[in-house]
Parts: sequence; C-alpha cells; structure tokens
Amino acid sequence: MVSVRSLPVNPSSLTYHDLPWIVQHREDRCTLCGRCTSICPTGSIFLTYRRQRMPKVGLTPGAPNQDQRGSAYRTFMGIRQNTDLARRCIGCGMCAMVCPNEAITPAPNANDPRTPFLNNQKGEAPTRGGRRNDRNSILDRISFNRISMLTDPALDAGRHEFSCNTILGRILPPEEFLRRQAAGEWIPPTREIFPFIIGSMSFGALSPNMWLGLLQGVAYCNEVLGIPVVMCTGEGGCPPWVLRSPFLKYIVLQIASGYFGWDEIIRALPEMQCDPAAIEIKYGQGAKPGDGGLLMWFKVSQLIARLRGVPAGVDLPSPPVHQTLYSIEESVMKMIQTMSMAWNFKVPVYPKISGSTSAKSVLNNLVRNPYAGALLIDGIDGGTGAAYNISMDATGHPIASNLRECYLDLVAQGRQNEIPLFAAGGMGKNGNITQNGMAMIMLGASGVHMGKYIMQAAAGCLGNEKNRCNVCNLGICPKGITSQNPKIYRRLDPDDVAQRVVETFSAIRTEIKKIMAPLGRSQSLPIGMSDAIGIDDKHIADRLKIKYIC
Amino acid sequence: MSAKSKAITVKGLDKQGTRISSKNFDELVQAAARKSNDLILETFGQHNVGGRLHSADGKVSVRLKGPAGQRLGCMGQPGTTIVCEGPASDDVGYLNIGADIIVKGDSSNGVCNAMAQGRVLIGGSIGARGLTMTKWNPDYTRPELWVLGSVGDTFAEFNCGGIAVVCGVEPKNAKNVMGYRPCVGMVGGWIYYRGETDGTYSKNNAKLVKPDDEQWQWLMKRLPANLEALGRQDLLKKLSVRAEWNLLMAITPQERALMFSGPMPMAEFREKVWKPAFPGGDPLGDIAPGLDRSHIGAIVSGDLRRKKPYWANQENAAPCTFYCPVHIPTIDRLRLIRDGKMDEAYELVLRHTPFPASVCGAVCPNLCVQNCSRDRLDERIDVAMLGRSVRITQPPASKKATGKKVAIIGGGPGGMNAAWHLAQEGVEAHIFEKSDKLGGKLAQVIPWERLPKATWDAEIARFLKMKNIKVNFGVAMTKAKLAELQKQYDYVIVAVGTHEPRRIPFPGNERVIAALDFLKSIKDEKQKVKVGKQVVIIGAGNVGCDVAFEAYQAGAEQVTLVDIQKPLAFGKEKAAAEKLGAKFRWPISTKEVTAEGLVTDKGELIPAQTVIISIGDIPAVSFLPDGIELFRGWIKTDKTGRTSDRHLFAVGDVEKPGLATDALGRGKIAAGAILAEIAGKDYVPFQLPLISPDKLTLEHYCPQPSAGSSQEDEATRCLSCGTCRDCHLCETICPTQAISRQKHDILGFQYVSDDNKCIACGFCADTCPCGIWTMQPF
Repeated sequence: MVSVRSLPVNPSSLTYHDLPWIVQHREDRCTLCGRCTSICPTGSIFLTYRRQRMPKVGLTPGAPNQDQRGSAYRTFMGIRQNTDLARRCIGCGMCAMVCPNEAITPAPNANDPRTPFLNNQKGEAPTRGGRRNDRNSILDRISFNRISMLTDPALDAGRHEFSCNTILGRILPPEEFLRRQAAGEWIPPTREIFPFIIGSMSFGALSPNMWLGLLQGVAYCNEVLGIPVVMCTGEGGCPPWVLRSPFLKYIVLQIASGYFGWDEIIRALPEMQCDPAAIEIKYGQGAKPGDGGLLMWFKVSQLIARLRGVPAGVDLPSPPVHQTLYSIEESVMKMIQTMSMAWNFKVPVYPKISGSTSAKSVLNNLVRNPYAGALLIDGIDGGTGAAYNISMDATGHPIASNLRECYLDLVAQGRQNEIPLFAAGGMGKNGNITQNGMAMIMLGASGVHMGKYIMQAAAGCLGNEKNRCNVCNLGICPKGITSQNPKIYRRLDPDDVAQRVVETFSAIRTEIKKIMAPLGRSQSLPIGMSDAIGIDDKHIADRLKIKYIC
Repeated sequence: MSAKSKAITVKGLDKQGTRISSKNFDELVQAAARKSNDLILETFGQHNVGGRLHSADGKVSVRLKGPAGQRLGCMGQPGTTIVCEGPASDDVGYLNIGADIIVKGDSSNGVCNAMAQGRVLIGGSIGARGLTMTKWNPDYTRPELWVLGSVGDTFAEFNCGGIAVVCGVEPKNAKNVMGYRPCVGMVGGWIYYRGETDGTYSKNNAKLVKPDDEQWQWLMKRLPANLEALGRQDLLKKLSVRAEWNLLMAITPQERALMFSGPMPMAEFREKVWKPAFPGGDPLGDIAPGLDRSHIGAIVSGDLRRKKPYWANQENAAPCTFYCPVHIPTIDRLRLIRDGKMDEAYELVLRHTPFPASVCGAVCPNLCVQNCSRDRLDERIDVAMLGRSVRITQPPASKKATGKKVAIIGGGPGGMNAAWHLAQEGVEAHIFEKSDKLGGKLAQVIPWERLPKATWDAEIARFLKMKNIKVNFGVAMTKAKLAELQKQYDYVIVAVGTHEPRRIPFPGNERVIAALDFLKSIKDEKQKVKVGKQVVIIGAGNVGCDVAFEAYQAGAEQVTLVDIQKPLAFGKEKAAAEKLGAKFRWPISTKEVTAEGLVTDKGELIPAQTVIISIGDIPAVSFLPDGIELFRGWIKTDKTGRTSDRHLFAVGDVEKPGLATDALGRGKIAAGAILAEIAGKDYVPFQLPLISPDKLTLEHYCPQPSAGSSQEDEATRCLSCGTCRDCHLCETICPTQAISRQKHDILGFQYVSDDNKCIACGFCADTCPCGIWTMQPF
C-alpha cells in the first residue's frame, strides 16, 4: 500500500542511527508539552504521528471474528529527529533540560555515524565551531611528584601567603635594570597578572551578555578578591564606553589581521582613564593555523556591525595573514613598535602565534626586539568560533612540546626570565584547568590562556570533545554564549556569568596553592620547575625532558 | 603515698655537674612520683617533663626550679599541676589531657599543640602556632590557654574546641596581639582577646564578635584565680573592662555554607562598581541605546519566539490542481461534495472545462492524479469517475455581453475552451471551423470506443447552449479571410491544430496511408474503410495504438507497430491495442514499402497489405499573415499564447503538440490573457506553488482496501492538500491552547494562534493533515 515514490533514497539519505546523535524519546512518559521542539536550536526534532497496522490473521476454524479478516490501525505520537544533515541533532541536550518528564534525551551514536562522509554538501568543506573533538590530553597525565616530605618544611595552602601571580612584559636582567634606572632610561612595562588568563574571544564571537559578563567577573576578581585576572578582547574591538572605563586595565586588546574595531580604540585613546593590560597581536590561532577569523553574516548583528565598523549582515572574514607584513622581522618591528608607541611604550605588547615547528624562529626574533613583551603560543587543541574541520582537526602543533622547546631554547641562552612565554590551546579541555595550567607553567610557561574552559565553567557551554553541540559558528548557541540573537543570548544573565567567573578563579587560586604548597613553593610561581613533574610515558618524558614515572 | 607526702627534689645535673638526658631524667621523675605527689624538679633543659604522672588521689604537684626544656607538661594528666617559675620552650602542653600548666614567663612556639584537656597559663607572651590542633572531647572539659601578653603568628590553626584568652598585657607587638593570620582551619572553640590586631584572621573559619553575657561571665569567673596563679592579681581591674574584649568564634559548617559566596554579592558589585563606570549604567549605552539584554527563560512566547505558526490556507496547490493543465481544482470540488453542495461542485468544474466527461472522464491520462497524495496512502482519487459524474446539461451562467468579440479559428478543444472562458465573461466568441463538426481530433480521430459518442454529443450540446458563443462551420481559412477577421474582431485566436500528416520519403511511401486520414475516415460514418489482413503501423505512439485498434475493428488479423526507438505508447491506448494482439517491434528503420509489405533497413520483410504511418502531424498555417513568427512550422507564442502580433493568439497543437487537456489549458490561458487585457489588468497566471508532500500528515488516515466508487467516497478520501478541512486537530493538539477557530467574513472560518500563548513548538504544523500550518522564522 506504500507507493515507492514516498521512499526516496539518494546518496545522502540517512536514517536516524546514521547520525552522530540519536534522539531517544519515551512515548510512555511524554506529556506532549511542546517544550523540546520549541527549544531545539537546530529545529531537529518534531512531533510525529505513526500508524501501526494490526492485521487480524487468526486461523482457528470457527473462532469468533474469523470472517472479519483484515487490518485495523492504531495511531501513536512521538518526538522524532530530522535526518536532514542541515537540521541534524547536535546533542546539546536542551530538550532534556526543558522536558518536565525526562522523556527525551540525545544519546551519542555508539556506531560510526555517516556524517563525516556526507558533510560536504554543495561542495562546501565542513566547518564547525568549538573544538578538536579529541579527549586526549598529555597535560592531564602530568603529575606533580616532587613533594616536600620532611626534607624541607611543607607549606600549608590554607595558612601560608602565596604569590600566585606572574609577570607579563619584558623583564630586564637585574644589572641592566639597575643601569637603566640609574641612567633614567626607558624600562619595559610589565604587569603582575594572574597566570590564568581569559583568552581572546571577540565581542562578536561571544554574545554581549557573555562578553560583558566575563568582564564584570574579571572586574570583581580584581577589585573585590584581589586576583589580578585579565581577559583578552579577541579581534572584535571593545565597546567604546568600556575603553573609557576603569576596567580597561583588566583588558588585553587584541589586534589581528582583520583590524576590526580599532577605529574605536584609536578614537578612545585621549579619553582612556587607564592603560590596557597589554596588546596582543594575533598572527595565528591554534585551532585554525593559517586561517583568519570568520564571523558569519548571521552573527553580524547591528550591534556587532556598529562595534566593528562594518555593515550588518555581511560575512566578516579576517585574512589568514596580516596583509602588509612579509617577514618575521618586519612584523615584529612594525607592529610591536606601532602598538607600543600608541600607549607611549607603557603597555606590554606581545604576539600570539599558532603552535608550529617554526615557533622558535619567532621567539628568537622577539628576544632580539627590545619592545617585545612576551610570546603567546596557541596549540592545536585550541577552540574557535568557526573553522574548517580540517583546520581544527588536523592542522597545528600540540602546545606542550612546542612551548617546552621554546622555553629550553631560552634556557640555553640564559634568557628564560626575560621573555615570558604564554601557552594556550586545550587548557582544561577535560576540566582539569589548574592541573593543566600548572603543568604548562612547570614546563616553562609564565601563564596560560583559556577559552573553552571559561565558557564551560562560567556560562555552562554544552560543547565537549565528543562533538556535542559545537555550533558556535551558527549563532544558535543554546546557552546564549555565542549567539548574537537577543532571543537566545538573553537566556544568559551577565550577573550569573560574572558570579561563575569569580567562583572559577577563586577555585583556581586555591588549587594553585594546593599544587604549590607540597612543592614547598609559595613566593613565586614554579615557572620551568620541571624537576617537579613527571609523566607515565617514556617517550613523552624524553621529549619534554621531564621525569618518566610509573 | 598520701596526699601530704614530703616533697622530693629531682636534680637535672648529675654529681659531676653533667646534664642528665631526658630519658634518664624521666625515669628519675617517675620513680620519685611513686614515692611523693609533691615534686620539685631542678631541670636543666630536659624535655617532656611533667607528664604521665599518677597518684592515688590524683593530685600531683610539679614545681620547676631550673630552665625548662621543650614540651613541658607533655601528656599531662588530670590532677597534675605544673608550675614553671620562668619562661618555657616550645610546645608547652603538647598532647596535654588534663594538667594545669603555669608558666610565669614567656613561652615559644606551639603552646597547647594537640592539647585535649587541661589549662595552660602563660605569664608573658607566646610564639607562633599556639593552640594549634587543640581538641575537645565533649565528655571532658574544654582545654584552655591563657596568655597575659600576646600570641605569635598563625594562632589557633585547626583549633577544634580549645578556648584561648589573650589579655594583651605588655604585648610583643602592640599593633597586633593576635599575630598574623590566626584561626586558619579552626572549626571549634573561641578566643577572647583584647588589644589591636591586623584583622588577618581567617574569615572563612572565624567570626569576630563581642562576648555575650554568658561568655563574659565565663571569663570573669575564671580571671581572678588565673591571675592569682600567675601572681598578677594587680591586673584584675585593668582586664575587667568588658568593652575592651573581643571574641573570635569558630564558624559552623552550616554558617559557612551560607556565607561563602564571595565577600560581596554580585548584585551589589553590579550596582556599586560596575554600573557607575558607564553613563546610564549600560556599557553599550552609546552604540546600542535601549538594547534590552535582560534575562529571559528558555521557553518563551510572543516576540521572543524564534519562529511562529502561520495558517497558510489555500496558499499551496494540491497536486491535482497543480498538475492539471487546466488547473481544475479537484480538491475544491471534493470539498463542496463533502459539504453536500453537489451542484456547486459540478458548476465549479464546468467553469474550467466544457468537457469533464469527455476529457477528464475519457481521453485524458489524468495528469492531475498521477501525483495524488492519496497514492502514498492507498490509491489515488478516481478523477475520471468524477469527470463522468458531471451530468448537468446546462452550461454555467455567463455574464452580460460586453460588446467585445474574439474570432477563434478552429473548433478543437483549444479553441473551444478559449471560447468557453471568453463567453462566461461576456465576450462574444465566434468559432470558424473548417469541417462540419466541433471537437477537432476529439471528434474526428479518437475512436468512439475510447470517447463514448453519447457523452460527446451531450457535452457538445451543452457547449452550444453557452451564451456568447457562435459557431461557423465549413470556413476554410485564407490570408484574406484572416485579415478580414482581424479587422472585425478585437482578437483572433488560431486553434487549427495539426492536420497535415508527417510523412517520410522512403521508396513506396505513396503506398502508405497517413494515420490521421485513416482515423478520420474510420470515424466518418459515410465511409467504409477496408484494411488488409496484415497491417504494419510505422510509429508506435498512442495514435499508432488507436490506429491498431481501429485496424482490428476494420478486419485486420495481425497488426504490427514498428518504431525506430522504444515505443512511447502508454496507458489505455496501448493496453487496448495489446489486448487485441498488436505486436510492437523496435528498433526498426524502414527501407521501403512494397506491395508485399514493409522492408526494413536490414532487408527483412514484414508482410503487410496495408501500411499506415503514424509519426505525427504538423500544422497547416499558410493562412497566417506574413511576419508571424514560426518555429519549425509551429507558431511561436509567449506564455499566454500570444504570437508576435499583439492581437493574434495561438493555442493548442498549432503552438506545440500535446494532449487534449493541454489544448484546453492553453485555450483557458489565452482567454484569461485577453480578458485581463480587456479589463485593463495584468494577466495573473496560475502561480500557487505545489505543496511539499512531507507537509501532509497521512497518519491521521487509515489505508482502505480499494479506491472509492462514488463521488462521496472520493470526497471522503481526499486529503485536501493545502486547504484546511476544518478538522480541529491543531486546536486539539496545541499544548498551550493558543489555537482557536474563529469566524471569518470571507472564508467562513479561520484558525488563529494567540502569540501570547504560543511557544512555537510547531505541533500544529506537525499535526495538520492538510499542510496548512507553517512555522516561519520570526
């Protein structure tokens, strides 16, 4: 009775169990309230009617109804998922969140989904937001093994006074510092900051409520808790009134190849109440090395357009490289000098590069540049608002060995204390933010930048390394973190975000002490204290020049 | 031993004046204690002195006359009183479980470390980490530490129940009698103090309060005796000023759970620190003034929805209406039947076509229901039966004559339907037909077996009753005649069809009969057509099948249809021919036709006495004025049938070969274009989009074993694609009761969704059987 026309099959036809997430719906519990289909960010789920044929096929002679052979039908309702790739379930689980009866939830497909073979419809290479979808983290495996046991007085994380802060900016050798001070010469600017930094996420990649909530939390950390947290703007500029606010000193302004929002920054220069914490020059991003930022048109709202100085509703790609810079030397000279001069050489300026086997070349140029304030290396596990899958999945360099090599290079030159190295890319990817960060610090980093972690911790980002959600690029973030649609981002209360930022940094501070105390350190961050860490893999231990433990 | 035994002195130096080790000194003290409960110890820095001493009545007095070592009173027992006349070293009262320890001078670090019971009085000040790890077992009395002076850093860490009294008399640091950062990890007990502090006590563990009455009484009750024990009764008055005393109380876990949300509530921070940094309190006040960023919930209604339902009634075409070249709205006809309005249903159809029975009911392959949605459930609607059911003999009413006139050349289906539509709107339609009957090929060529004569005659009769139509027979068209008509009429429509058979000039082609001529002659009652026993038909399309059918009727015994490609024949025509035994052969190219039959290009002879060619017909349009554009012999027209002459239209096969129903459709369109132009309006063609099949919800229906056998059955089975069937299911399923049915002046009713109740779940769209409700981005 079913016409063949009703069952079209084409190369991209999928069943629900070919998809990455399978929506499990319990009809026996469902109250048909409509909340799940109302909230679903991709419009994946819908109410369905199903007809069940119940044939009467008894064969007992003389039995009642023997002559009533035929079919009866029963109809039932359920929530089902769209098998169209464009509207597939992303596993965010908002349906489960709003369901009053625990009747619906997405479940990860334990079999191989077909999507990797088909997600290039119309010849478009697949893109996504979020992360690399790789739970592996060697940082998670590093442990802190040099414990003060009777050999030296143990410290008490609760009692002792700890200095957990780090220095951002060029640190002169003591004799040079004294000489310049005596001679009244310029001394490079430095900042004492908390070593866990909110990495560059632009006003645009993030919703206004998220971005401002983060800044409000950062301001609280500084002004109420005395934790000198800073956050980086990313490449989307900074609201003009924020530039003129006292909170600018907690902000690292990023300049990148798209130069979005810099007209407002330059306009605000004469009216700034304070200097920014630093200037970050983005040459590369760990999640998508060699690719510029991309804010898709549906995220370019009136507000974002106004801030970035562009028309609304257009795609905003940033070039992969700074268009007029052709060499490391030129980049370093031109941009660091320009940015330093903007604030009269009183603000540290540093470049951010993608993790790369060529990182040491950049570093060696910076060492020779008197104005370079630091180097930030962003590893392959970094997140992003939008990138090609191929860039995110397979392009880049893991941060640990990359940063370690750079640090040891500085050590070999005896200059490890002069140019601070900062690490980013996958910090806290599985939730172990302090452990990851402190491992990086003991490998030689002066601090770490974190993006995805703070989104997860401060705003309840649902994304994970198993491809849950990860639709930051589409402007449909179910939590309102990366959406520019007020109907979505108003779900996020900036006060709540700020509160969570505060709780997160308070906890990180405690955990830093819990790591430092058994090491017997309290007065300086254990930067490069690699004799205190070990890993249960001989090859990694050899590569990182740390202890192999088992 | 008795309570009043004689004092024993134990010396800390041996006869040689050498210090006795702590181990040996302890053995001496223990031995002495077995003899006396009054011990005088001339210590010389021995450690762990004064503890583990027992007597029958429980009282032991220990007086130190000499430098005290570390851990004085270690493991002190209840009943033991230890008096040290001078200062003491580290860890006085270490693990003390009851001794009274009086040190008249200072003491260094760790006083009362891990003490569980007893009392330690210090006449001076103490070093760091006093009262640390102090315990209190509620079965015993609380341990107490009294310090006349001040205490060092990190006091009372992990204190679990001990009471301290820090009097602040002659403190080591007058600015800070409590030392740096006391009370870390303190979970019980409390600390009286007087004097200045640096306020660094652990706020998570202790709270600073004033002693209440009970606590004040506790202090005052013990103060005189303790001062006396230390020989400082002189301080009683100085230390009895209640206002000078403070109390650090341990915070309970319950209190801590309530307080540990940061030192300032975020809302307070927002108001006091955040907002004042921006004009008007909004960081985006300049670039997005008035932007509402306030908190909303997850499930919203009204303007906060991201999509909203729209009742798109009759905005999408049902497949039947869409695919019919005449766009006859079969679903509307069936709805009228459901509503019991049978006459209106018939009239609706007749307004579109004069031939519901002859075309829809007989010759048409029914393109309309080839995509019928019901086909996905069981079987398509039987539209031919519906066509045959239109039995009324009067044409629909037409409007008053407008005075406009249109000449129509050719009385076939295209011209007739143009006339039919023009006439309904009051435009005179004058048909000029070359033959002596209307209907073109329908009348001249289609076998009566496929188009019953009675049906045809009835529909022609009804056609002729239509006002504003006049028919002129036997008019052969010429250039001069057409020029004349163009002068007399507002518009001329050419609808002469194709009546020039196409032939192929192979040898012997003069022996071949054209299918058109053959079929015309068959239908001409005046002629008696004869065919041979073996007939070959070149061209195996549906016309070829008709020819085969008629050839059998005329006495043929074997008919073979040949084609150079796979035969295009289909449907009723092919079935009829096959049933009579016609054979189809392909691919076959004709080399020649001889008296014996058809010779193929491969030399095979297919025997035939009669060979008929059926490869189509072409228009005969020599009467057209010069300058009318043609395309390979057919008249070139635009979408409305208009030729390169504004007032000359062409419809039907003369424009493009097709089905009878295609010609009907083209006639209707040309009439519509002319009517619009007369009315001074733009012509609006049929433009409803086809409804998407997945918009319908078929599961509301049960498959039936067979198609309906009456108009009423079909009306029930119709899925009403794209047109609301007023079933109330949306109103029923809507979880927030947002949808209601309301009266509507024109439509009669409509379904409306209340924006303030709707949460945009989409259930209405998912439920609607007809695909009306649509969720639109919002």
